[in-house]
Amino acid sequence: MADTPQPELVTITLNGVDTEVRKGQLLIDAAEQAGTYIPRFCYQNRLKPVGLCRMCLVEVEGPRGTALVPSCTQPCTEGLVVDSENAVVHKAQEGVLEFLLLNHPLDCPVCDKGGECPLQDHTVAYGPGESRFVEEKRHYEKPIEISDLVLLDRERCILCARCTRFCDEISGDSLIEFVDRGNGTQILTFFDEPFASYFSGNTVQICPVGALTAKPYRFRARPWDLEAIESISMVDSVGSKVSVQTSQNQVLRINGVDSDTTNHGWLSDKDRFTLQAIHSEDRLRVPLVRKDGELVEASWGEALELVAERLGSVRGDEVAGLGAARSTNEEAYTFAKFLRSVVVTPHMDAQLDDALSDEFLAATLNRAEINDLETAGTILVWAGDLKEELPVLYLRVRRAATILGATLIVIHPRRTGLSDVADHVFTYRPGEGADTLRRLKAGDGPFAEARQALDSGPVMTIVGRTGGAEDPRLAESVAAFARTLPDAAIMPLARRANVYGALDMGVSADLLPGRVSVRDTEGRTALEDAWGPLPEGRGKHATEILQGLKSGDLKALITLGADPVGNHPQPALAGEAVESAEFVVSLDTLLNATSARADVVLPVAGFGESEGTATNLEGRVQKLNRIIPPPGQARTTWSVLDDLARRMGATLGAHDAETIMKEIASIAPAYAGIDWALLDWGEGRDGVVLPGPDGTQPLQHMPVETSVTATTGRFTLHLGRVLYDNADVVRNSPSLDVLVQPASAAFHPRDLAVLAVQPGDSVRLAGDYGTVELAVRADESLAEGTVYVQANMDNSRALGASLIVQVDAVRGEGS
Amino acid sequence: MSQPHILTRHMVANRTDSNTLASYEQSGGYSALRKGLNSMTPEQIRAEVKASNIRGRGGAGFPTGVKWGFLAPAEPRYLVVNGDESEPGTFKDRQLLERDPHQLVEGIIISAFALNCAKAFIYIRGEYPKPARRVQRAIDEARAAGYLGDNILGSGFSLDITLHLGAGAYICGEETALLNSLEGRRGEPRLKPPFPAVEGLYAKPTIVNNVETLSNVPWIVNNGGAAYAAIGPERSAGTRMFSLSGHVNNPGNYEIVMGLTWREFIYDLGGGVPDGRELKCWIPGGASAPWFTPDLLDTLVTIDDVGQNGSMLGSGAVVVMDETTNVVHAAHRLVRFFAHESCGQCTPCREGTTWLERVLWRIGHGMGRPEDIDLLLDVCDNISPGLRWPPAMTTICPLGPSATAPVNSIMTHFRPEVEAMIAANELVQGGVSIG
Amino acid sequence: MMDPAIDRVLTRWSPERQERARAVLAAYPERRSTVMPLLYLASREHGYCSREAMVEVGKITGLTSIQVESVASFYSMYRRQNVGKYVISVCTSISCFLRGADDVLAAIEDETNTPDGETSDDALFSVEHVECSGACGGAPAVAVNWELIEGVLPDKGRALCQWLKDTQPETVLADEMQALFGGQQSFDWGIAEPQGATSHVPAFERYDSAGDAS
Ligand SMILES: Cc1cc2nc3c(=O)[nH]c(=O)nc-3n(C[C@H](O)[C@H](O)[C@H](O)COP(=O)(O)O)c2cc1C
Ligand code: SF4
Ligand code: FES
Repeated sequence: MADTPQPELVTITLNGVDTEVRKGQLLIDAAEQAGTYIPRFCYQNRLKPVGLCRMCLVEVEGPRGTALVPSCTQPCTEGLVVDSENAVVHKAQEGVLEFLLLNHPLDCPVCDKGGECPLQDHTVAYGPGESRFVEEKRHYEKPIEISDLVLLDRERCILCARCTRFCDEISGDSLIEFVDRGNGTQILTFFDEPFASYFSGNTVQICPVGALTAKPYRFRARPWDLEAIESISMVDSVGSKVSVQTSQNQVLRINGVDSDTTNHGWLSDKDRFTLQAIHSEDRLRVPLVRKDGELVEASWGEALELVAERLGSVRGDEVAGLGAARSTNEEAYTFAKFLRSVVVTPHMDAQLDDALSDEFLAATLNRAEINDLETAGTILVWAGDLKEELPVLYLRVRRAATILGATLIVIHPRRTGLSDVADHVFTYRPGEGADTLRRLKAGDGPFAEARQALDSGPVMTIVGRTGGAEDPRLAESVAAFARTLPDAAIMPLARRANVYGALDMGVSADLLPGRVSVRDTEGRTALEDAWGPLPEGRGKHATEILQGLKSGDLKALITLGADPVGNHPQPALAGEAVESAEFVVSLDTLLNATSARADVVLPVAGFGESEGTATNLEGRVQKLNRIIPPPGQARTTWSVLDDLARRMGATLGAHDAETIMKEIASIAPAYAGIDWALLDWGEGRDGVVLPGPDGTQPLQHMPVETSVTATTGRFTLHLGRVLYDNADVVRNSPSLDVLVQPASAAFHPRDLAVLAVQPGDSVRLAGDYGTVELAVRADESLAEGTVYVQANMDNSRALGASLIVQVDAVRGEGS
Repeated sequence: MSQPHILTRHMVANRTDSNTLASYEQSGGYSALRKGLNSMTPEQIRAEVKASNIRGRGGAGFPTGVKWGFLAPAEPRYLVVNGDESEPGTFKDRQLLERDPHQLVEGIIISAFALNCAKAFIYIRGEYPKPARRVQRAIDEARAAGYLGDNILGSGFSLDITLHLGAGAYICGEETALLNSLEGRRGEPRLKPPFPAVEGLYAKPTIVNNVETLSNVPWIVNNGGAAYAAIGPERSAGTRMFSLSGHVNNPGNYEIVMGLTWREFIYDLGGGVPDGRELKCWIPGGASAPWFTPDLLDTLVTIDDVGQNGSMLGSGAVVVMDETTNVVHAAHRLVRFFAHESCGQCTPCREGTTWLERVLWRIGHGMGRPEDIDLLLDVCDNISPGLRWPPAMTTICPLGPSATAPVNSIMTHFRPEVEAMIAANELVQGGVSIG
Repeated sequence: MMDPAIDRVLTRWSPERQERARAVLAAYPERRSTVMPLLYLASREHGYCSREAMVEVGKITGLTSIQVESVASFYSMYRRQNVGKYVISVCTSISCFLRGADDVLAAIEDETNTPDGETSDDALFSVEHVECSGACGGAPAVAVNWELIEGVLPDKGRALCQWLKDTQPETVLADEMQALFGGQQSFDWGIAEPQGATSHVPAFERYDSAGDAS
């Protein structure tokens, strides 16, 4: 969407050569683009330049002779004359290196950074031969654990302020800072308070020396042993660009890769450290088949025969499929094709009725790209807490509000990670969203200023379900309003990594591949030409599927990387559904609450183990690459489904992922023209954004305004997500698992008084779908009458997601 | 030699109560404020200050009128008074603050009017509680008398002054570090540009002036810029407060018209070196300035003459050293100061000043090595390439390069003495190397 | 309108300091600017710039505790360790050095039995050398809780320590100490100064109201 205007050019003289560069561009970058690399430590292209390490000094001609200036802070202007290679410059660089090395321990052989350390490299390239420093070096106590994930070795620190600037400017978690001054300056946390940031791994990545290291990576590899490929993170739907680094078929490190369009190089710690789940002890390695009530190992032949036979023994439309939201597009496409053309069932859902409607997600009009944040005048976020749900998107919104100066309006049932940087923050009681929207539209009372801000465009609106108990149609009402705002761009949110791709591939009760409605007869006919006859009518959604299984209308369930028992908003229903099903087969990488109850479990390849594409929340298609083989006998999903189809007397033609993408491109209108060459990673290559509904995409979803009844009841539930919940990947990543906190029940202090409970006491919450007991906590940001519970925790899951809950204090026996 | 009294006229005439409003008013205090606010426009006041040719008394010596002209139009804009006075050898602002705080307050109010600032801050170093108390009392008295606050003297102009106390950091005297400190940050100098006049306090246009600079404003407004410019040499106009200390018989602050010779200053005013000892050298402008030796006694005390001889008048601190001075120890003391006060941002300053200090300490304590001389000079060169004047810098602010001045000075003027000291060390130590 | 988080901290402070803190909060256009004055007030409240003091200032200013510590630790006058009742600061910068400050320091260390940089066992004295005190014309200079005495020679330095030990004044007055132990001054002090220091944390004494100190 965002067009960049043609940049103005100026001519500078760099080492005697006239060079055209962008006006105002920093000299250090301009020189690099012109092929002259200027050494640096403190400069990091996504952080505000501070010019303090002094490594990048160059000589610039000025009115009063030449001066040494840091090229990282010098903007390019017409006629600038620069020497970056003369004797004065070299002497200064050598001097800076010598200074830095005075107090730097020469423990490179045992330093994680050894081999990829700019200090080491620059010393070889620009440094003095040997140190003339005969005094004693500065000493600090050896590495201190500043969090469960990060270690700090102050002796190695060169005080470049990259880490502190990241925390200050980018993440907003200012938990490490310089302490003391001058030669005694050191980087520290406050006493024993941990560096508890969702983004701490980024500081490790950008630390130019081995001062900050990641516990999960420490001493595990030497950089020169690492093999790396570029890919995207499959932890959430942002599609952050990553470098996956392995040694001996082990993924040892995931680093962010700078992408202008998505993550700017940053990752959440969840993106970075769930790599541990790849090599979990508990990875599924062989097919499992239930015998005498136990899952036991079986051969692929035996397992697939059994599945083919059982699926063949029921009517096609008695079978349903759930999942594919964490699969690649190719896997999702094969899944949809398998269900619709081999099993011949219309019942499938990539979601678990816990986010927004399929059509809304797939085909919102005026769909936004992340980069629309760069030019937005006003940003409205009415969604889940982005810091908890889509942390990298949070960073981008935060940047827009704090660095780019956009006006930020945040509406959510409680304070969120963005509240501190927002210009207008509104909280409301879940269930009263429609009324809140009405007041916002009208610019009522406290909403007046925010309403006014929404008149200055471009207005980017990020809409999502604020919590599990919120009516999903509220987001559509918000979007309908947002469409009326100047230069509107709208981003509807879902969290799971490739949920947008799975919907685009037709893993949906409502959609056929390529954002075609199942009601679109023309589209149906076109697909039948390729796939053969399709099942009639609209299929069932996740909840309907579970109800069907429970009632016996449906007989069999296939899950692909989905866990309805663990994640569906009605946990009891999901449990009963799986119990009642005649046959359940799960394709997965790890056992979960659902697959543990399946009749057959088929181990499939996961992240890093298969190639393919995924589509992020902007509709950007990007490439995922393979760097390691799947464990044991695990196979790629499409090959499993292809094999299964053959055993069921059909063929899917799924020979390899690239062929599948070719087929997708020929069948799915929105994907026309996509091929792998287009998606190859490389400098400045960021995948392809699919055309929006105004382009060649046939489906057009017009969000409709709905009125959601504001409910009166005892307490309304805000079931909000937190980053470290009981997701499989977190539980199977030991470094993150320790960060999971149990759920609690938070109330406004006045409600605590009404309930006559104190923080730490217990309450019983009873909703439509279940009952739990939780410890109580105070949260002043909540509206009265609201109870906030963290979703998807061991101790909260049983509650389910009903809007109204009955709350009762639990009185101890003795009291 | 008779000294004129411009800045010190009131405190000299009213020895025991010059700090009070009553006494200040009796000797004509706040008449410049009345004149300025009631009968002059801000432009006219700025023009008088420009015509006075007064140059900043904080160290850099930049013409005040020119600096005021750079103030960007954005609002709000701030006036910040630099009373951080921490340069070794300097104690003149302390006297102005303690003995004549109203003169400063009046200067601030007039200047704020001229610059259209509604808020001014006075930053006083934390080690100066007494001067701070006196200034705060003066502010309170001025407010009670209607010289400060809303609609001053019915002019429609309003001003609020807040006194901010530093907390022990010399670097906060550097104007951008001072602004960071005022903003509640570490006192780390900022990159320039942008200059404070464009983006200063809270990123708003800000003028930073020294206490002495602004204390001159009432006189200039009362007597006119031309009268001020007529005092002293053209490019060193007006009188100036000098702080004289070290090995002299009459240490103290001297308000003088520039253009006298160093001999006149040190011997006639300062009473010469005690006990008939010989003058060895002196620092003409504070710890940051390269040293002068007796061959320059007959050169003039002006900004230009000192500059042409490779040093500066800086903050007006003259430190005299007699023949008994061990120059290595003296240089060590000065370098130790800069190492202690380095903010730590820039690598060359943070690491280099400490390195210099430690090598000088070794030499001074019998552990020097012949190669240390070249080492010291080369480390200096890496902080201030070429060791030229005015200094080139590999750093953001001049603190690091300042630390090279004493080292370079002793090597230039007293190298044989340093060598002899090292040689003696070697004799004592039998050439043992230290590692 | 006051933020409840601020009130929660301030109501723990003495009424006088609460009032000072509110005045400080009103004096600056941006909250962060109040960090330095509040650090003084909190130090006074807690005796020094303790962990608790920094946490409190963070709560008032909206900064994280480590951001506050980062600022506090930059400045030498926020003591992050407890110090003696009388902090004796001996200037040993160039002018005082030339005038024999090192001997004064040694005498004071000896007399108080407290090495440079340390606090005496009875917590009466902390002794330290400091960089330029702005009293170069009255070198060597010594300050007790930042109340300055100029022209202090080694013997007078000893006598000063003895006097502090014997009389243990609650308020140290520069004029009084100068008369008893001082010598050469940087300039004629002229004006009698009725106020002195009641702690090593400066800036606390009420110099901000005109009337109270006559
Ligand atoms: C390291 C350093 C320390 C300084 N210290 C002071 C100081 O204590 N007082 C002062 O007025 N100026 C000091 N300055 C100069 C200020 O940066 C600034 O130039 C001055 O306050 C401007 O006021 P003026 O134009 O009235 O001189 C210092 C500069 C540097 C580089
Ligand atoms: S820890 Fe690393 S990133 Fe942080 S200041 Fe030190 S060297 Fe730079
Ligand atoms: S990279 Fe430019 S000063 Fe550090």
